[in-house]
Amino acid sequence: MSFRPFTSESYAQDDRAEAWRDVLRAVGLRPASGSAFHYGHATAIHRNLAGVALSRISAGSQGVSPLSQPSEDLPIALLPTEDGVVLRSETGHRIIPVGHLLLLPRNGDWSVVFQRDMRAIVLSVTSDAMHGRILRKPRFGEPQVVAPVGFADVFSRSLEATARTLEILTDVEWASVAQNLVELLSTLAQRRSVPTPDTNNNNTATQAAILHRICQTIERTLDDPELSPARVAQAEGISERYLQKLFEGVGDNFTHYVRERRLQRAWADLSNPTEVHRSISEIAYRYGFGDSAHFSRTFRHRFGLPPREFRQQEAGRMAAPSVVGQRGWPQDALAQLRTHQPPAVVKSSAVIASGETGDARTAAEQGHHHIAVDAAKVHWGYFSRALAPQTEIRSGDTITIETLTQHASDDPERMIAADPGAESVFGWTKHHKNIDRRGAGPMDASVFGRGAGEGFGVHICTGPVAVREARPGDVLEVRILDIVPRPSRNREFEGRVFGSSVAAWWGYHYNEFLAGPKPREAVTIYEILSSDETPHARALYSYRWEPQTDPFGVVHNTYDYPGVPVAPGTVKRRHAVLDGIRIPLRPHFGVIAVAPREADFVDSVPPSYFGGNLDNWRLGKGSTIYLPVSVPGALLSVGDPHAAQGDGELSGTAIECSMTGTFQIILHKKGDLAGRAFADLSYPLIETETDWVLTGFSHPNYLAEFGSQGQSEVYAKSSLDLAMRDAFRKMRRFLMNVKGLSEDEAIALMSAAVDFGVTQVVDGNWGVHAILSKKLFPDVS
Amino acid sequence: MRHFTLPVSPATVHWGYFSKKVAPALTVRSGDRATIETLTHHANDDYERMIANDPGAESVFQWTREHKAVARRGAGSTEGPFIKGSGEGLGVHLLTGPVAIENAERGDVLEVRILDVRPRPSCHACHAGRCFGSNAAANWGFHYHDLIEEPKPREVITIFELDTSGEPFAKAVYNYVWTPQTDPDGIAHPTIDYPGVRVDHSTIRKRDNILPSVKVPARLHFGTMGLAPSEADFVSSIPPSYSGGNIDDWRIGKGARMYYPVAVPGAFFSVGDPHAAQGDSELGGTAIETSLTGDFEFILHKHRDLSGTPLEGLGHPMLETEQAWSVYGFTYPNYLAELGASAQTEIANHSSLDRAMRDAFRKLRRFLMTVHKLSEDEAISLMSVGADFGVTQVVDANWGVHGTIRKNVFGCD
Repeated sequence: MSFRPFTSESYAQDDRAEAWRDVLRAVGLRPASGSAFHYGHATAIHRNLAGVALSRISAGSQGVSPLSQPSEDLPIALLPTEDGVVLRSETGHRIIPVGHLLLLPRNGDWSVVFQRDMRAIVLSVTSDAMHGRILRKPRFGEPQVVAPVGFADVFSRSLEATARTLEILTDVEWASVAQNLVELLSTLAQRRSVPTPDTNNNNTATQAAILHRICQTIERTLDDPELSPARVAQAEGISERYLQKLFEGVGDNFTHYVRERRLQRAWADLSNPTEVHRSISEIAYRYGFGDSAHFSRTFRHRFGLPPREFRQQEAGRMAAPSVVGQRGWPQDALAQLRTHQPPAVVKSSAVIASGETGDARTAAEQGHHHIAVDAAKVHWGYFSRALAPQTEIRSGDTITIETLTQHASDDPERMIAADPGAESVFGWTKHHKNIDRRGAGPMDASVFGRGAGEGFGVHICTGPVAVREARPGDVLEVRILDIVPRPSRNREFEGRVFGSSVAAWWGYHYNEFLAGPKPREAVTIYEILSSDETPHARALYSYRWEPQTDPFGVVHNTYDYPGVPVAPGTVKRRHAVLDGIRIPLRPHFGVIAVAPREADFVDSVPPSYFGGNLDNWRLGKGSTIYLPVSVPGALLSVGDPHAAQGDGELSGTAIECSMTGTFQIILHKKGDLAGRAFADLSYPLIETETDWVLTGFSHPNYLAEFGSQGQSEVYAKSSLDLAMRDAFRKMRRFLMNVKGLSEDEAIALMSAAVDFGVTQVVDGNWGVHAILSKKLFPDVS
Repeated sequence: MRHFTLPVSPATVHWGYFSKKVAPALTVRSGDRATIETLTHHANDDYERMIANDPGAESVFQWTREHKAVARRGAGSTEGPFIKGSGEGLGVHLLTGPVAIENAERGDVLEVRILDVRPRPSCHACHAGRCFGSNAAANWGFHYHDLIEEPKPREVITIFELDTSGEPFAKAVYNYVWTPQTDPDGIAHPTIDYPGVRVDHSTIRKRDNILPSVKVPARLHFGTMGLAPSEADFVSSIPPSYSGGNIDDWRIGKGARMYYPVAVPGAFFSVGDPHAAQGDSELGGTAIETSLTGDFEFILHKHRDLSGTPLEGLGHPMLETEQAWSVYGFTYPNYLAELGASAQTEIANHSSLDRAMRDAFRKLRRFLMTVHKLSEDEAISLMSVGADFGVTQVVDANWGVHGTIRKNVFGCD
């Protein structure tokens, strides 16, 4: 992850000094000797990319000095932003006014002292960022102070603008901005460096200027396969011999330099997501490689990887875990892959005619149904309007639905072994995978190669259940009558209940670990003690995720595909975790959904108007959820069972534990909704014994809002601020429409009595819920 | 243990700011108790019900052309000519105090226990003994630029009565739309932009029978409680920060213990902004603002004694109730230090729940790791499955998200 925020609030008082040292180190600085660490508040925003590091720093009064690094690097650029600084060096003290730029050598005896608070922007560019470009090594014996005039002003303003927007630039934008900062700094450093000749380098300033011009000419004509020293020399009006001498003067030669620049430019284009539509041979040709086989060989020789592999690796790096909230479809892949989408597999409708429905008819008025979980009864990682129902029920019927957690594979011995239902769903050998599609992605896994469906959606959903006569515009009421956990069938653990919680790469914490290794994923296995006097869960052991090879041979470096069995020998179990800690249980279903109308395959991760992955622990026994029906039959699915979860679901998962629910389903026809609490329903509404809980999202209907881009955009645009606004608007509407209040009454009441809370910050479409206590309306029964 | 009483008067309140420069109204030692009266700065929304014939309230709110009992209201300029009035309303809460704590030094932690909270009854003959409060859906509310009914925008005052005969609850009495008010110094206030301006009831139209049959369960608490920050002499009372202040969490009521890091010698504790009820988020900009009196106990924890206690490494306000611990995350955990010279006005341009959530996460992680000796992996797993994050307020410039962990998570075995 290239973006890194720092705040001293994260650290205990005594650890702050060391943490602060790391912040300074990232831009080539250290605390000046004799400068005591300021124990007050300190923050920094930091971003880096292959040798370029930019920090915006805000802290108490202090002094900084160089780390003493190899000096091929460009000088450090430091821009004080609020107050002047004192520059101490061998030549004495100077007071530098705010807005002046300091170019600081990587070595030497200098320090910059912030007399009042330290507020500065610091840019560090090391030789890694230069991509083999020749620069006459800028010599900086002494720090230089540059007034904000002309070119230096352009540079300072770019620095400021970049530092201000550091946290919102996308990776692509940042890469491009960072490259520009390198250009600007290197030009400024060239112009400001001391032209004293040293023993190894007898370039004069004139020679340097000519060489600089030559390099620019080369840069402009890299596409010319005929580019030769003779041509360039001619264009510059110098002899070829002299040209070669100029290159020798900096320890290089023309041919090598041109090849290096061509390869570096091709390297940059291959790793640039906005260039993916160009073929590799097009890029090779663009940089003067007429023969793509030759290019491929040369590229591999230079970078150790053929261009094709390199590009795939870069695509994965850009799109996957490194960016906050990048689950689901990577943004660029979507357009290309839409055409490859196979139509949803429509199962034989015979299922409806026979099976449960027939049995249910034998019951009198209200039928009871049961769906035992197995591979034929679930869909994994997506919702779909195109799935054939497992069974059809009537309004008023009850149904028992077994659900499995997709995290059972974190400890297959405890949560899958000897359980026929679980074994059937998770069944996966070298030759056969019982449930191939996991997620809404392409079946050929051509985006990341993780597996069929690409894990764009992870939840094992039991269903769908069709409700007779349900039509778009109706409301489906789902009452949760009971929830019981699914005990282990393995003789060794028989009757005991287990769950798993993963601190995963999509967790809220993932980009700011305090301690190494960074980043990491950790799995904690819990035992669920639900018959205890105070039902609770306790941690049994935990392990760090290690790359897992699935039965088809795909290696999963992160938790990027659901249901990959973790072989006990591949991880190191740590016992005595969360010692003495009991987690009070809150059994609930994370996912309760009706099928969305917009698309055939919808990622199960982001919740929306149709319900889905709400991850609200209030959806437990005794509560009810109302969902707006969008497709004929409603197509209800249930999954993602949780034994306990906090508001926020911070690490990315709850205690994920297979459970069986019993529900009563009531259909409210569109014409009968007037005057009911769920009239005019366009979102999932939860009713508990004591409260109404309204669900707000960053994007209330992301499928409609973003259209065909919805399933990738929603991950990029998560925000609690937006979710709060949505929750406010929904609650206002509820109070006005359902409770008959005026807008002024509604707002007064929300301020005095409605509680807003954070539902989750990990499911792409972040959630804020609003809780209205029924106690406020004592006259309503 | 000694017990003091601190009634309200112009000499015992400061209005709209925290300050290390104000002379203490009371000095106590660790272990002492005090009964402290507080007034809501919204009392003038209905002078008759909330001020008239109440000597304490009348003395504080007194403002005629000749005499303004408490001139400075806010951390803004005290040199005329004024746009809104002395202090410029940069900070609005009537705060009682400061209470200085003997021997308190920077680095210590002050524990404030709220032993009891009582409403302040009306003294007016027609309403004697009954308790009232005011809720303003104000220009700083979350809804203000997002209204659907006309006129837009508008500010609305709702007057509530607090019924304490049984399980206490509040009921709306009437409401009115704010009309431009002119203060005794001749400055017009087209919106609610300066505290303590008496609303001339001949200019408003009261609407009765509002929120009929709605009972708001009472949650008596103090919206603003905290210590003087070190960064500036006069600090607006609106944005909460590392030394507490306008946290606006309704859980800070009877039985609560608040912990604050001491930033200046003597700690300088002040309390005000009393509320009869508030929801998480305080959406419209205010709670049911009701004058209250509290009984407090002060316990000073010296820096050297913090190690090994739940206060180890504490750099922000923290709440302990019978059931839970809560830490407070803000958009900017210390906005005064982070935003520099113009912090007190700049903070309003940066309000964000996303940043507040991030801060709450970090603070709770630190608490679990430092105090409960969990590894980072343990802390993160526990937060996901056992901690609850809620929206404290979205109206006090420095927005808040609180992170709560229940005490029964930490079993004794």
